[in-house]
Amino acid sequence: MRFVIIGNGVAGATAALALRARDPDASITMISGESDYFFSRTALMYAYLDRMTLRDLEPYERQVWTSQRIERVRGWVRDLHAPSKTLTLDSSVQIGYDKLLIATGSVARDLPWVGWERAKRGLVHFVTLADLERCEQQTRRGGKAVVVGGGLIGVELVECLIHHGMQVTFLVREPWYWPAALGGEEGLMISDHIRRHGVTLLLEETVNEVECSGDGHVQAVITDSGRRYDCELLGVTAGVKPAAGWLAATQTPPRTARGILTDAAFRTSLPDVWAAGDCAEIEIPGAAPLVEQIWYSAKRQGEQAALSMLGDPVDYRPPIFFNSSKFFDIEFTTVGRVNDAPAGSRQFYWRAPEREASIRIVEAAGAVIGFNMLGSRWEHTILERWISERRPMEYVMPRLREAQFDVEFGRLDLAPALEKFLSRGPEPEGAKR
Amino acid sequence: MIRDGALHKLSHDVRNRGYSAWMTSALLFAFYIILYYTEWLAAPARMLGFDSKWTLYGLLYSIAIVSGGVYVIRKYRHNRYQVVRTLVVIATQVVLAFSVPLILKFFRQPEFYFSYLWPLKIEYLTPQYIFQLPAPFILYSFLGSLLLVPVLGIFLGKRWYCSWICGCGGLANTFGEPWRHLTSKSAAAWKFERIAIHTVLALCIALTAMLFITYAVGSRNPEIARQTYRFQEFYGILVVSWLSGIIGVGLYPLGGTRVWCRNFCPMAAVLGLVQKFGRFRITVKENMCISCGLCSKYCEMGIDVRAYAQSNTSFTRASCVGCGLCAEVCPRGVLRLENVARQDPQQAVLVRIGNARPQGRWAI
Ligand SMILES: Cc1cc2nc3c(=O)[nH]c(=O)nc-3n(C[C@H](O)[C@H](O)[C@H](O)COP(=O)(O)OP(=O)(O)OC[C@H]3O[C@@H](n4cnc5c(N)ncnc54)[C@H](O)[C@@H]3O)c2cc1C
Ligand code: SF4
Repeated sequence: MRFVIIGNGVAGATAALALRARDPDASITMISGESDYFFSRTALMYAYLDRMTLRDLEPYERQVWTSQRIERVRGWVRDLHAPSKTLTLDSSVQIGYDKLLIATGSVARDLPWVGWERAKRGLVHFVTLADLERCEQQTRRGGKAVVVGGGLIGVELVECLIHHGMQVTFLVREPWYWPAALGGEEGLMISDHIRRHGVTLLLEETVNEVECSGDGHVQAVITDSGRRYDCELLGVTAGVKPAAGWLAATQTPPRTARGILTDAAFRTSLPDVWAAGDCAEIEIPGAAPLVEQIWYSAKRQGEQAALSMLGDPVDYRPPIFFNSSKFFDIEFTTVGRVNDAPAGSRQFYWRAPEREASIRIVEAAGAVIGFNMLGSRWEHTILERWISERRPMEYVMPRLREAQFDVEFGRLDLAPALEKFLSRGPEPEGAKR
Repeated sequence: MIRDGALHKLSHDVRNRGYSAWMTSALLFAFYIILYYTEWLAAPARMLGFDSKWTLYGLLYSIAIVSGGVYVIRKYRHNRYQVVRTLVVIATQVVLAFSVPLILKFFRQPEFYFSYLWPLKIEYLTPQYIFQLPAPFILYSFLGSLLLVPVLGIFLGKRWYCSWICGCGGLANTFGEPWRHLTSKSAAAWKFERIAIHTVLALCIALTAMLFITYAVGSRNPEIARQTYRFQEFYGILVVSWLSGIIGVGLYPLGGTRVWCRNFCPMAAVLGLVQKFGRFRITVKENMCISCGLCSKYCEMGIDVRAYAQSNTSFTRASCVGCGLCAEVCPRGVLRLENVARQDPQQAVLVRIGNARPQGRWAI
């Protein structure tokens, strides 16, 4: 049996190791155009910050790939021919497969700005190793940078640029930072925190034009409001989309929509071809098509897809959502549904008096459905359990302590939160901000 | 990417085995050679009113720990575990390791370091030496080594000593902070560690036993006494002077801060064994690791923490000194130092390869 995997990201690498764990004899090949070894994309910023070397970003010692007999091929796959089960690389090398997994991840989203196609230098994304290299080339102490797009990757890029002494203007289209995940109060707290690190954070600014010099170097962006922001580095972090576009140029592309369409067992429309991770769009009966684009889902999907390739029955259902991140020094844990809470839900929000920390708990139909925790650490599996057990807020609040995960001596004092809850109770949805 | 500017470049260089790191290492080596093999430091010591170069060394050591400690407290001020721990490290050095021996001397009492115990200080359990001391010292020494060390080790893990009390660990966690990430994380280094540290422990136990035998029968068997004292001299030069001092500290800027603690310290070996049976562990939050590797990088004991974290495995490693830096640097709050009454059964994991292996009670 010859397994071939396109992509050595966390989905591809997890799948390769899972295949090997079950099938000691198969031939397993992992192809990537980006890097020789699996690396942690989530830690790209720590290489930029000089806290890690690129080698440090590799989650496994290199000998693991030898000892697990996983062949690594460097190159971009340009063609897929399903009838003959053959891939063709940009080097014209052909690779045959018995079973194929496509785990090509995401690509940065482009934006429909005037002048976009003229920008040759200075415009950077922050997704790949090549992006990191381009960022580093444009980084200059004292230079002006503009970062557009108020998500997680944006704030990571901003932190790196500030560290390297650039003057950073962070343009966010929304009324507060990251409304997709944060409520207004949290958005305000994070905005203050970001500004305190020397960032010029401007809200409700939508860029529609980029200005370049004659040789294509970015000079400024212009927003809807007509304001102009000079920059020599323009970071565009307006989200990512599944890397499915390259398949259009192949002889036999699988069905795609937003991503590569699969069923709940990660099978694409082509025989013996699976897809998993950021690039996959899973059609689960009775639910909206699912595109998950975080590390945890890619790891989960890679493992499940491997099982499916081995012939196990797989029926993927995403677990209760959880994610984590960090905005400069403030850690963030989210579990369940917070900002897409249904109408009629109740919320409890509390901000710690002397610490940049807050908690938000959402309840619908008498059961908690989501948590947003900032500035302190939480054992998310306990929060998940309360959601799955459909516990009411009155049950959760006095037990919240059980889910704390702060360092010893450093536990966030929850007594005032409980006091506020007992005296004021939750507020109806819509009262926030 | 290295930060621009001369100071930033130097800081990168000295932390990452650049020229300045080699020079710093050479200076540290030179200092220790001078300290151990010459009397050059006697004169400056006298000028300060000390009667021995060792008191001057104690002063320099304390200055290194206090200034490094202030730096560390500032750097990790948002983390109360680090602040409290570092304050204790500083206080132990200044009070127990420096002031108390001086005060004892002033009152014509024996020079005694309450922060050191057998097997780190072999004399403190050997009859030739310890029975010359007044009764309270004898009591402290025996109860300390034979009761306090294992009992606290069972309840709190190795950390109560190695990263809260001990001067060697204290220096590593304060003055040594810029170099903590240099410790090798490779599986090969781990293998060396296990062989080396248990060899030294065996030597240490053998020497202690021989000293007891000599005490009992040495006067009738001068040959046994002669061999024992030769062995003691050899141990003193190899382990005490070279491994703990000259190599242990001299290699800070090249090999990381815990070369001695990780590979050679007999106290760490004993506490490591106790730790494996005790309550201390590092709890890993399930499925939250992003495999960034910061925890592994900043582990001064060379533990590939990420290998456990990314496979959802809470663990106890004999070498872990519980400094808590993995939990501090983890950007996703995945790790927590805990003393748990019951070790949770380890979950089956997808792959457990590389510099981590299944946690078993006998895996050291
Ligand atoms: C800066 C940044 C920070 C992030 N931080 C977090 C975080 O904190 N938490 C979180 O949950 N998620 C985070 N993410 C998202 C997370 O990294 C992704 O969800 C995850 O890496 C997806 O894994 P994957 O294996 O599906 O794809 P990828 O990691 O993107 O890997 C795909 C691989 O396929 C290769 N490839 C693509 N096309 C081809 C081709 N045609 N031929 C050959 N090779 C090809 C690529 O070179 C790439 O190496 C972050 C993402 C970025 C960019
Ligand atoms: S620092 Fe945290 S997120 Fe990073 S590898 Fe270690 S445990 Fe995982």
